[in-house]
Amino acid sequence: MMQTIKLVFSNFKYVFLSSVIFVSMMIGLLILSEYIFLEPYIVSHLPSGTELGFVLILVISALSALVISMNIFRINILKSSKQKMGGGIVGSIIGASAGACSCGPVGFAVISTFGSVGATATAFLTNYEIPIRIIAIAILFAAYFTTVKSLKIECNVHS
Amino acid sequence: MNKKAVILGVIVVAIVAGIAASVSSSPSETVNLDMGRTHGTISTAMGSAILGDPSAPITIVEFGDYQCHQCYNWFHNTKPAITRDYVETGKVNLVFVDLAFLGNDSPKAAQASYCAEDQGMYWDYHDLLYNSQEPKIDGGWANSERLKAFAFSLDLDMKLFESCLDSGKYSKRVQYNIQQARDNGVSGTPGFFIVGPDEQQQISGAQPFSVFKQILDSMI
Repeated sequence: MMQTIKLVFSNFKYVFLSSVIFVSMMIGLLILSEYIFLEPYIVSHLPSGTELGFVLILVISALSALVISMNIFRINILKSSKQKMGGGIVGSIIGASAGACSCGPVGFAVISTFGSVGATATAFLTNYEIPIRIIAIAILFAAYFTTVKSLKIECNVHS
Repeated sequence: MNKKAVILGVIVVAIVAGIAASVSSSPSETVNLDMGRTHGTISTAMGSAILGDPSAPITIVEFGDYQCHQCYNWFHNTKPAITRDYVETGKVNLVFVDLAFLGNDSPKAAQASYCAEDQGMYWDYHDLLYNSQEPKIDGGWANSERLKAFAFSLDLDMKLFESCLDSGKYSKRVQYNIQQARDNGVSGTPGFFIVGPDEQQQISGAQPFSVFKQILDSMI
């Protein structure tokens, strides 16, 4: 497993790509979930009782960065099918959407725009925020192990 | 002569006791009877009673939903320090305006708070709702039965409260407040406007005390 990670991240381009994905996804999710505020001052805040949500955001961002970069490596180097990125993308989207709306910075705007469908969706995403994020992490882990396995075979990596 | 003096004495004692009771029962709660009340650009005429000194130079207008977990976070993590340092010292007062949009039980909970206001218990009821909030939106914790149970636990007159809640007496009041949020560009809860003598500052989200302190100190 370490051999595969070394193979991908020996190229600085993928380290950079992974860092960009991690930082942008983490900051975006932390803003949407109100751990970071940009106005009127830039300030970060971890209210008591929300620590688990914070940790899950970090895990989702890290796994997304890892899985997406590894899959881009496969597509670029091995000219593999783009469909194989599915797991990583799906996991990232599910993880990002959980709890991101509700009463946060965009909640009222979303419900005003999409009406009862938006209200039902945001209520669902809020009510099951933690389980949805855990499912997203499970999908990302599955995508990670699948990718590592594929790279081992396709690149003939010996563990 | 003695009988007259005793009766007079009883009346004087009763009046003094009545005044003392009315002052001590809710030192910081005033019922909102001002239909033209505004704070900055916001019409708070249909909002809550003012928490704190009505003549304080700064008003915090909070737009919130009783089912919103970020409002719950703000209520527990930031509001106590604001109340201690600014509201109780007479520097700031606070008005709550409903942006009840998250679920079917949200408008009903907001209406219930005004039914409690009818009996001079708005802020007690408001606090009880935020202390009793459960994570699930429309999960039943704020349905009509529970709202009545909360009123019962505060020793409210249940006949009055139930007829108020069941009749939808304050339905239009809550709708008016939601419209105020829309008109003032509030996109989520909690949303705040800090209205000072010369300026108005908007804060979005359950921001920490340090942010409020910085703005409030600059306005005082």
